[in-house]
Amino acid sequence: MAISIDEAVPAPVTDDAPAARRRGGRARRVIEVVLLVALAVAMLFPVLWMVETSIKENRDVYAVPAKFFNFDFTLQHFKDVFVAQGGGRSDLSGSFLNSVIVAGASTILATVLGVPAAWAYSRFTLKAKKDQLFFILSTRFMPPVVVVIPIFLMYRELGLIDSKLGLILIYAAFNVPFTIWMMKGFVDEVPAEYEDAAMLDGYTRLQAFRKFTLPLLVPGIAATAVFALIFSWNEFVFAIFLTSSQEVRTAPPAIAGLIGGTTVDWGLVAASAVVFALPVLVFAFLVRKHLVAGVTLGAVRR
Amino acid sequence: MTTTTDRPVQEASSTTPAPGGSPRLSDRGLAVAFISPALLLLLGMSVFPLLWALYLSFTDYSATRATGANFVGFDNYSLILGSSEVHKRALTTLIYVVGAVLLQTVLGFSIAYLISRRTRGRGALTTLFLVPMMLSPVVVGLFWKFMLDAQFGVINSMLGSLGFGQVEWLTRQRTALFSLIVVDTWQWTPFIMLIALAGLTAVPNYLYEAASIDRASEWFRFRHITLPMVWPLLLIAVMFRAIEAFRLFDLVYILTSGGPGVSTETLSFHVYKVAFLGFNTGTASAYGILMVLVVIVLAQFYLRYLNKLKEG
Amino acid sequence: MRYSKRAGLSSLPGRKVRLATAALLVATTFAACGGGGDDGDDDGGTPAAGGPKAPATVPELSDDPTTLSFVWFEWPPAQALEDFANAEYTKERPNVTIEVNTVPNANWHDAMFTQFAAQQTDFDIAILDSQHIGEAVTNGNILDITDFVNENIDVDAYDPYLLAAYGQYPQAETGQRDEDASLYGLPLLGDTWTMIYRKDLIGDEPPETWDEMIDTAQKCQDENPGVSGLAFHQANGSDAAAVTYNTVNGVYGGNLWNSADKQIEGVINDEAGQKAMDVLVNEMKPLTAKGSGNWFIDETNAAVAQGKACIAFQWIAAAGGLLDPAQSTLGTTEDEILDKLGFATLPTQDSDVVPLGGMGMHISAYVSESQQAEALNFMKWFEQEDIQKKWAAAGGVPSRTDAIQSPEFLEAGPFNQVYADSVARMRDMWNVPEYAKLIDIENTNVNAALNGAKSPEDALNDIAEQQQGVLDGGGGL
Repeated sequence: MAISIDEAVPAPVTDDAPAARRRGGRARRVIEVVLLVALAVAMLFPVLWMVETSIKENRDVYAVPAKFFNFDFTLQHFKDVFVAQGGGRSDLSGSFLNSVIVAGASTILATVLGVPAAWAYSRFTLKAKKDQLFFILSTRFMPPVVVVIPIFLMYRELGLIDSKLGLILIYAAFNVPFTIWMMKGFVDEVPAEYEDAAMLDGYTRLQAFRKFTLPLLVPGIAATAVFALIFSWNEFVFAIFLTSSQEVRTAPPAIAGLIGGTTVDWGLVAASAVVFALPVLVFAFLVRKHLVAGVTLGAVRR
Repeated sequence: MTTTTDRPVQEASSTTPAPGGSPRLSDRGLAVAFISPALLLLLGMSVFPLLWALYLSFTDYSATRATGANFVGFDNYSLILGSSEVHKRALTTLIYVVGAVLLQTVLGFSIAYLISRRTRGRGALTTLFLVPMMLSPVVVGLFWKFMLDAQFGVINSMLGSLGFGQVEWLTRQRTALFSLIVVDTWQWTPFIMLIALAGLTAVPNYLYEAASIDRASEWFRFRHITLPMVWPLLLIAVMFRAIEAFRLFDLVYILTSGGPGVSTETLSFHVYKVAFLGFNTGTASAYGILMVLVVIVLAQFYLRYLNKLKEG
Repeated sequence: MRYSKRAGLSSLPGRKVRLATAALLVATTFAACGGGGDDGDDDGGTPAAGGPKAPATVPELSDDPTTLSFVWFEWPPAQALEDFANAEYTKERPNVTIEVNTVPNANWHDAMFTQFAAQQTDFDIAILDSQHIGEAVTNGNILDITDFVNENIDVDAYDPYLLAAYGQYPQAETGQRDEDASLYGLPLLGDTWTMIYRKDLIGDEPPETWDEMIDTAQKCQDENPGVSGLAFHQANGSDAAAVTYNTVNGVYGGNLWNSADKQIEGVINDEAGQKAMDVLVNEMKPLTAKGSGNWFIDETNAAVAQGKACIAFQWIAAAGGLLDPAQSTLGTTEDEILDKLGFATLPTQDSDVVPLGGMGMHISAYVSESQQAEALNFMKWFEQEDIQKKWAAAGGVPSRTDAIQSPEFLEAGPFNQVYADSVARMRDMWNVPEYAKLIDIENTNVNAALNGAKSPEDALNDIAEQQQGVLDGGGGL
């Protein structure tokens, strides 16, 4: 009865069987398309405007009334994202690199810890399983601003303030609950009988998991990882309070730092926003089919 | 669903004795080995800090002063609960949460409904609509600040060409809170849409077929087949969004920094000020613990209500 | 699915209560044991207040490759300092590299003080705002350099107040230096507000009194559609709106507080204070652009550069970008821009004060002695006459009188004369440990008044009451 994993958006719910049963059918369809297009435009306009700003000459950026088409094109802003004014690598590009390391490592860590746990929760009878699962989920209820205070105190004892490792750990901790919940849904989808059959053939349970279940979970893992990646890639609160040096700073605080000086280069802000958003968008696009299934499985199966 | 998971374990134990001891034990060992690393991380990074915050909330501890922590009982809690400043932020947060979640639920569901009725291009449409959700709140905040600028912003520029005057989006009490709601809605409508879409696509086709045979009206189909199937999922999505919105910080920090005055300061933003401007760590911890309590208690009531809804 | 969900939900409430109880029990136990341990961590060799003392002379320096790092916020002077120091200081100390780390302006105070709180800093020299000193000194975060200054720095070369502003605690009386008080820092970058006016719109002669300035702005706005009379800082972040009010308060003869009695209530909101708030909200604000209620440094600059303001107020150190033709619609060369823009000292009214800006250098108490030694050596080097002049030529604002009066400085920028003329008139805010809270109260209330969220009278009275509460200890949230 569950949603098919392979088909994010399965067959249409309206059937055309009694076609033109209603005279209003066609008009209604047109209205629906118009509405959908209008909503799509409204939702995507800010993104388009961001892309456009990133390729505009600065004097056109501030133009009133706004220039939608007849602006001067430039790629200078994108160059500024990567190359410092006097040549050499820009600070921003260093922050991008830090983001790749921190988000990548924390996503991997959350997946490596979360997937086996999800499998175990799905397959085994455990004492107070529901309590454990609720407890795991509830750790995500905490406002980051609140957690940042004790984390800060703890990190200062451990010397993890202003370190990539510190960020990786806290991001992983925030992603593990989500990974477990989402992956448990995916594991539930894979019949346990596969493993039983494998064990009849003489495999141990661990081998059965690795050889038969895990390969089937790969799409689910990818979808889960996207959500974990989105969180750690975009995270700002911990980043700004737990890090301070250029060597550690991730991209969100670095981009925030582009304003509040003496002048704001909106073209640069837009260009860095576009560059920063691309990896996540590409990753999400690659696993788009599994996203719908992924986000709901955790919510549906409690 | 959950009941079925017990079976393989028993079957396994009765049929395939794996080498190296009782399979039941090795299953148990495996479960422990697989679960404990994740739990340890959570204990270390979530539970321990929270308990530490709980302890600090009963003290006058300050992270910067070398005075140590003196036990002050419930002083911090009564200070916060009795403060009119906190009440003001609570009201702001409430308006924001209700407004934003309501708006994005209506919009998100509408979009999902419209998409689910298309036959072609649904995958592409869904992906496009998801883009705002993938962006960093920092980017979203900065860029909307630019677009909402009263002088140079594209929104006012477009309104201007339509003959409207300049609107002060971020510097008037009402409009600033409204702008926050709009921006949050823009970013998170896709989330509701995603979940609603899953609910909509899970409605079995035979129900609709039966309805068409009965010549039921569109509205009847929507009201009595579609909505009841999607409703529970939607309510859970609403809860997730409400929890997220309740702890909103970064958007406020970037878009309005709480202004004008303190009129868009949310509870999270206020905690930040207590924690990092005065470094009243004890008070801030109590503030945070109260926020966590509110979330857990409300979530509890909400889940109970959902439960009743299902049974009733 | 339905079944499992129902089962899941119904079983939650009772169990969670038990869980919560367990958590509470654990926490209480933890609290009982935790108290002692925590106290132990805290002293870490830090004296209760005052901070450790720096040696009177610069200790022997290491010849190993060394990085001397600063922390500042993101703005052009930070880059200027890094370039200048790497070019010049290395002539004396070739093994040293200077690194100026920057954070977003809004995060500047938090970034430094969270590191201080961690008792572990990735910077050797913190560039503190003058008002941050009290907090840093009280917590023992920065070195007491009184002896070092007496031995190594030519204190007579400075305007006494300028020397005191970035280093002395307790705070100096406006215009003076208390020679018995301790020093915790030395000036890095001096600053004050300049009035920027459109010569092509209001004429070459700047208005001399504040009232005249408002009239001129009004007239200019009426004559030039699309151009606002005024542009100034109104934002509720950093110290934006607060400095604006403090400036007008000073101009109309008000006082921020009585430092001897720690009295704010009745001082800031006395008659002069009320008048200043009234002028700011009811006379100046109506002359600003619509939606300018969240403007700070960069928005004000943008308004001037876009030709949208007749008269603007800006920090001198942040005004450099105005001369950049790439960002300006006022002209295609610097000269063309300067034909239209004039820079002047602030008009006066009932009294003659201007806001003190700028920052000093303060040595972190949590870095190694060799790093501290290098930092001391850098400061000694930096405060020499010829280096100060070079710093001025590189775009910095010096503090030594001889450097301020030097042609190197006065010719480096059209606004530098303004600074030189303003030195004797500067007034600072409180630099008490509670500074961050005081400034937040003032910022948010002035911002509220400017944007119609509070009446000017209520805003000012709330400032007085809440700030007094903070100074008296506690004072709510």
